[in-house]
Amino acid sequence: MFRQYALLVVALLFHASLFAQTKVNISGYVKDGSSGEVLIGATVQSKETNRTVRTNSYGFFSLELDAGESTVLISYVGYQPIEEQINTTTQKRFNFELSPIGREIEEVVISGKKQNKNVTSPQMGAINFTIEEIKNVPVLFGERDILKTIQMLPGVGKGGEGSSNFFVRGGGGDQNLILLDEATVYNASHLLGFFSTFNSDAIKDVELFKGGIPAQYGGRISSVMDIHMIDGNNKKFAGEGGIGLIASRLKLEGPLQKDKSSFMISGRRTYADLFLKASNDKTVNDSKLYFYDLNAKLNYRFNDKNTLYASGYFGKDDLGYGDLFSFDWGNATATVRWNHIFSEKLFSNTSLIYSDFTYNVNVSNENSDFVIASKIENISLKQDFSYYANNKSTWRFGLNALKQKISPASLNAQENSAVNSINIEKRYGVELAAYLSHEWNPTYWLSVLYGIRATDFMVQGPGTFYTFDADGEAISIEKFSGSKVIKHHLNLEPRLSASFILDDKQSIKTSYNRIVQNLHQLTNTTSSLPTDQYVLSSKNIKPQFADQVAAGYFRNFANNTYEFSVESFYKHMGNQIDFRNGADLQANEYLEGELLFGKGRAYGLELYVRKTKGRMSGWVSYTLGKSERQFDQINNGEWFNARQDRTHDISVVGLYKLTDKWNLGANFVYYTGNAITFPSGKYTVDGRTLFYYTERNGYRMPDYHRLDLSATYEPLKENKRFKSSWSFGLYNVYNRKNAYIIDFRENENNANITEAYKIALFGIIPSVTWNFKF
Amino acid sequence: MRFLYIYSLLTLFVLSSCEELIQVNLNEANPKYVIEGDLNDLSSEQFIRVSQTVAFDAPVRSKPIDNATVTVSDDKGKVYTFNSVGNGLYKSSFQPKAKTRYNLKVSVEGEVFESSSYMNSYVDVDSLGIMEDVIFSDTVYSVTLKFEDPRNTPNYYKYNISVNGKDFEFSRVFSDKFNDGLYVTHQVSDSKSEILLGDTVVVERQIIDKPVFNYWNEVLSINPGSAAPANPTSNITNGALGYFSVSSAKRYGFRIKFKEEGN
Repeated sequence: MFRQYALLVVALLFHASLFAQTKVNISGYVKDGSSGEVLIGATVQSKETNRTVRTNSYGFFSLELDAGESTVLISYVGYQPIEEQINTTTQKRFNFELSPIGREIEEVVISGKKQNKNVTSPQMGAINFTIEEIKNVPVLFGERDILKTIQMLPGVGKGGEGSSNFFVRGGGGDQNLILLDEATVYNASHLLGFFSTFNSDAIKDVELFKGGIPAQYGGRISSVMDIHMIDGNNKKFAGEGGIGLIASRLKLEGPLQKDKSSFMISGRRTYADLFLKASNDKTVNDSKLYFYDLNAKLNYRFNDKNTLYASGYFGKDDLGYGDLFSFDWGNATATVRWNHIFSEKLFSNTSLIYSDFTYNVNVSNENSDFVIASKIENISLKQDFSYYANNKSTWRFGLNALKQKISPASLNAQENSAVNSINIEKRYGVELAAYLSHEWNPTYWLSVLYGIRATDFMVQGPGTFYTFDADGEAISIEKFSGSKVIKHHLNLEPRLSASFILDDKQSIKTSYNRIVQNLHQLTNTTSSLPTDQYVLSSKNIKPQFADQVAAGYFRNFANNTYEFSVESFYKHMGNQIDFRNGADLQANEYLEGELLFGKGRAYGLELYVRKTKGRMSGWVSYTLGKSERQFDQINNGEWFNARQDRTHDISVVGLYKLTDKWNLGANFVYYTGNAITFPSGKYTVDGRTLFYYTERNGYRMPDYHRLDLSATYEPLKENKRFKSSWSFGLYNVYNRKNAYIIDFRENENNANITEAYKIALFGIIPSVTWNFKF
Repeated sequence: MRFLYIYSLLTLFVLSSCEELIQVNLNEANPKYVIEGDLNDLSSEQFIRVSQTVAFDAPVRSKPIDNATVTVSDDKGKVYTFNSVGNGLYKSSFQPKAKTRYNLKVSVEGEVFESSSYMNSYVDVDSLGIMEDVIFSDTVYSVTLKFEDPRNTPNYYKYNISVNGKDFEFSRVFSDKFNDGLYVTHQVSDSKSEILLGDTVVVERQIIDKPVFNYWNEVLSINPGSAAPANPTSNITNGALGYFSVSSAKRYGFRIKFKEEGN
């Protein structure tokens, strides 16, 4: 009797293992079959276990299967899905190639039901786009711009007319981490912000995290925008370009060794200054006003286990008035990455990254001859691992060491110049970070992504550090020499996102994250200028931090044709920075005394509906929000609206495939005007009318709205290798004069009368661009 | 800095094409007292003005206050009483002396406002000139004053300007932050209207102290691009607007002629 029980117990205990098959991991890459370009976020699904994984940002996947024969389904938006029979006993590494859906195939209903990543993934507050998806969205001057399209998503505030600046969930423009192939881009705009530094020809896709930011990212408290450059075609030589009203572009790519290595080089230049050449005035004739971008990438696959990528960006704006004055600024980035596959389960990436932002001013006239130069740069070493333990569990962990150096604007005067040379001390800091993150799907209805990031920001010498009294006057001085660590700022940043899957169409998600920022941009103008000063956390400046909680409901309709989501968030921001009245931010060794520290809060509700398939696609997004700040020394210590506080923000984007040759696009945006400080009275001093201000940001700019249209014509010439298309655009179709600036002045004829006036930037602007591809 | 000024000038040049007058509903704040005290050694009659703010759309520029008690005392204890002469103006007869600190006290309706200003010695001008600038094919004139800036001391300069006999108006302030101890050229023009050929220009140059420089520098830094325009930081206590300055000053006359230096 006892023996029988014992046998039964043993049988029950071993039940699972007796019946379960051996598990095997397969891994590999998913690529575009026509160009060899890796696909990011492509799905690989086991038909037997119904388990789905996604490729990472290098196109790599790892999937656990039952040993033996299996069927896997590989799919990606815009590509013909494939089904592959594989035998895991003979092979464990697979490279899958998908073919892009040609336009002759009107619609492909992807079999399976895994086009619902937005529902099932634990990640929330994230949006990603491929350049292909947004190419028909109308834009200013016909220049496709990823940053301007991002602004039309919920929770992302528009920077203002024509601006590529953006505000995420009530945060500031300098609180967004913008990464181009992992390198920080300090100033993502050209020409007063009207163009972003991202030439869309060179970009593969972009992912924006507004909340629930995964632990591998850190450094800015508001958002992370992760932009990937294309790798270059490793099948055949190809080119792409365009000629537009204000800029032209050309991209060349091709294999260095077929299927193994490739290159990509892409350039863009504006030619607004060519019009200046037409002037008779010599000084105007010699003036400059242009920018250019250069992106390049090389990749080399040594073998199945090792791939090396080298990519770089260089861009410059150049503004000059004769030889009297010139002003140029630009970013440079360089990234070298090594992907190594230790096993089917362990993927490693090692990156060495450099990026900088510089500006230079040259002034040379009869009594002054000087140069102002400023530079901010960092060099960073990063090691990331992904461990695909099993179908329920993926671990990510890594280390990052980043050295930051700021060379504030220094003035270098020629001898006999009417100004003295000024040298402001450089500032140094090192940030060490380690993170651990675990994506865990214990059951079909729960999926959790949690992790922690630990950072140690070290304020480094050499340097002179001051302490300040309550009025910002320096009261003591300390000098440090060598690269001594002057202060550690230690922080722990917990991250958590969870998704509760109700069924395969709907889920509820929630997230919390803390994130810390040690590099601060000082902007005291309404638009951010290239000359904005940067400071590091120091003895006086504490790291900014944000705590954000968010919850949302995600639902897909009609076989994932429609994606719907509603998210709401609350964000607390600490150690925020503002300035004393009349703060002197340039070439000021007592700069830190001009800063004020306070806090912020932002909350809101975001609605988003997107139609992803069919002739008609597009999205509607709506954000209801509030963003406020509080500083003891500003506005009598009371909370006031942040400038980017927007009650309502609506964007509608519609794309319609009219015929095989014609694609139409339209977008409409509406938002509540910025909070702004207007006068509440006037008085005179020395015969000059001055305005009396009572409340910080107590007024509103008028509401902003605008409609844009576009049409793309692509003649059918499938037999030829050379393809071309025409893009026509109309910006601000109903010619609304949206206020860019509102200001006040005395009437010219009667000083007793004061008047308000507005300046509008762009009325209706047509554009035409000719694009080609070969 | 100057390049920022040029930068914003270029921006405004691009933008100024689409400008129109609009109506903005502005609140009317409770009136605030404004004190203007610009004392200097150019004359033996000194004036201080007391007024109040008015609503933005009021048909006057300010509301004069004539019932205040205004006194100035120096650091030797001598007190100068200012008497109301109407339109918010108060007058006293004395000539301030350099290297002296002067203290202001204004009492009105139970409120007391105080300030103090240090009168620096004059910094002599070496030579005068007229500058012709061509900006986008327009010829604009300004006057220049060249001088040796005293080394190793912070110096602050304020200029008022009068064109063709009109009232003096504030023009510019300068500090020697970037050119301490050098041979410096200050360029002065009329902020409201351009100086043209044939005009007569008188420039009043004052050697001011740091708080007064800060005040006027903040007045100048308020432009349409300021993220948060604020009232310039006054050197007067108790929340009064305006400023109190005692300076050494001199006046210089110019006549804008064809390719010739003024007098």
